[in-house]
Amino acid sequence: MADTSPDQAAENYLILLNEHEKSLAAYVYALVSDRHEAEDIIQSCKLTMWKQFDRFEPGSHFVAWARRIALHQILNYRRSAKRKPLYSTDPAFLEAVAAEIDHESDHYSARSEALQECLKKLPENQRRLILLRYYEDHDITSIARETDRTEAAVYKLLSRVRASLNECVTTRLNAPAT
Amino acid sequence: MNHRENIDRSFDGQLSQTEWDALQQAVLADPDLRREYVEKRWIHALLETESEALPSLFAEAVPTPSAKTTVRPLLWLSSAAALLFFAATLFLMWDRHSGDIVATLVEAEGCRWAGSDLPTVEGAGLAPGTLSLMEGMATIQFKSGATVTLEAPGVLVVESAMKCRLVEGSVVADVPESAHGFTIDTEKMEVIDLGTRFGVTTTPLGNSNVFVFEGEVKVRQGESPETKHLLAGHVLVGAADPLSDSDLEVRRSEPLPSPGEDWTPISTAIGEGRDAYVRRGDSHGPTGGHPLLMVKHTDLAENNQRRALLTFDLSSLAGGEIRDARLALKMEASGLGFSSLVPDSRFAVYGIVDEAATRWSEDSFLWKNAGTLVADTLSEDVARRLATFEIRKGAPNEFVETRSDALTDFLRSQSDRPDRPGRHVHLLLVRETGEADQQGLVHAFASKEHPTSPAPTLWIQTSPAE
Repeated sequence: MADTSPDQAAENYLILLNEHEKSLAAYVYALVSDRHEAEDIIQSCKLTMWKQFDRFEPGSHFVAWARRIALHQILNYRRSAKRKPLYSTDPAFLEAVAAEIDHESDHYSARSEALQECLKKLPENQRRLILLRYYEDHDITSIARETDRTEAAVYKLLSRVRASLNECVTTRLNAPAT
Repeated sequence: MNHRENIDRSFDGQLSQTEWDALQQAVLADPDLRREYVEKRWIHALLETESEALPSLFAEAVPTPSAKTTVRPLLWLSSAAALLFFAATLFLMWDRHSGDIVATLVEAEGCRWAGSDLPTVEGAGLAPGTLSLMEGMATIQFKSGATVTLEAPGVLVVESAMKCRLVEGSVVADVPESAHGFTIDTEKMEVIDLGTRFGVTTTPLGNSNVFVFEGEVKVRQGESPETKHLLAGHVLVGAADPLSDSDLEVRRSEPLPSPGEDWTPISTAIGEGRDAYVRRGDSHGPTGGHPLLMVKHTDLAENNQRRALLTFDLSSLAGGEIRDARLALKMEASGLGFSSLVPDSRFAVYGIVDEAATRWSEDSFLWKNAGTLVADTLSEDVARRLATFEIRKGAPNEFVETRSDALTDFLRSQSDRPDRPGRHVHLLLVRETGEADQQGLVHAFASKEHPTSPAPTLWIQTSPAE
């Protein structure tokens, strides 16, 4: 990008980042179990991408490039000694899952739009569960307490809601455009 | 064991490590299970990604669940004209904690931000959240009275009026009495203020360091409950993990954008090229294998002087006459010192002419045996001042480039000497300007050992060989 001024480069970067930021975030959340760890990695990733943006070939696949950098950061994440990780994960597992995600070559925005439509159809009690789990970031134990259920019941319901969302998203994506 | 059921349980942290290990093995071994895992996991990941938007999504869905009101708020961005507006407002989008403002962004000097989830205009109130600074310098005043200046590139997480977390980069904190106990957390350590001015740096390549300018701080490292007290003038260096091989992954073959077809890049990584820096006092031994070339000049602390030496092997250069030349260096964060304490800096490139001084080795080159190369004033028989360049205060870590006729003439004279075997050119890099405080920034450039950035490179333009 020899003929690109720093301002132009930053502008190009911000446009691409803005367009694909959520796709990148989803990729990291798909690979990293600990939400806080994932958030740190996403932030570092955006900065690393900017630092290496002079190496990005304009016109090439930004998401693929971003995912490579993200995977590299995930595999090399130096966990804070103070924070106990949710799980320790095998690098071979991460690479296999990452390859599978790439294989699916997801179109983030279509899937996310489908998910939004599907979420709107959830009954009230399931919405509350999704809010507690994902918006409030509560764990199963505290959701059980707040909703007056057993932990086993909470996770069964959560897993059912996710399964129905999954089915709904798949149906919408496969349906011909209306 | 039911792996399918455990897939879902793993998303909610419901598996033991043993169960998780078993699931990982099963997913690795079975492609069908892997597909299923990824499909389920992707829904979970989408929910995490969209988590902030969930309440408004549900709210808007209440009256007519079937109404199609898909929001694509950023479509209009394809217009470049909207960009300035976007840069200023994008980060205002999610404002879940707008009730609890804990700090104010009081100054944003030449700032460019990367996807911070907090407002980034001067004067904005900050709730807990993350600031990612690509360029410039930002000053944040916490409600407790503590002031923190973040230097780019850096990521700072504002946690409360009394606490922030430095993910990457450098900060200088000024803490009045009202905010005693103000804490800066890093991956490696927790720094608790006891009434001071102090700085913390972290780099992806190197250490976490704490410098105390005034007063006293308490530092806790890792999980250890023990704390260390640091007094003014003291420095604590957190141990860095060694680089792993996978860090080498993104190395690129082309060192720099080429200025044109008839230009040849010669980096210090080519042939018998070498690079290293020396520091007065030689506290860390020879630096030939170090990924960074550190350069500093200061009148305030003798042992912080640093100079870098670059040797280029021009034997692979085609035969024609040298017409023009440029020296290109990639700036890197040194993790040492603070750019807010250093004014715009001027660097000089010297060409070494003293035959004895050119016979240096990466394994043994030290300040104490660098002889004439580390004299305060370099004599004309030792080295000629060929070119200069400037690095602005708080400048982003980008490429710096310098050229001059003197540099071109020097390369011509050095590469054309039948009396000397090989065509080696030796350059010395010196910072000429000083600093306002002895904890001023140490400038650093990628060496040929740097895992991701290109080595120092001479771009040489030659006439076509006859």
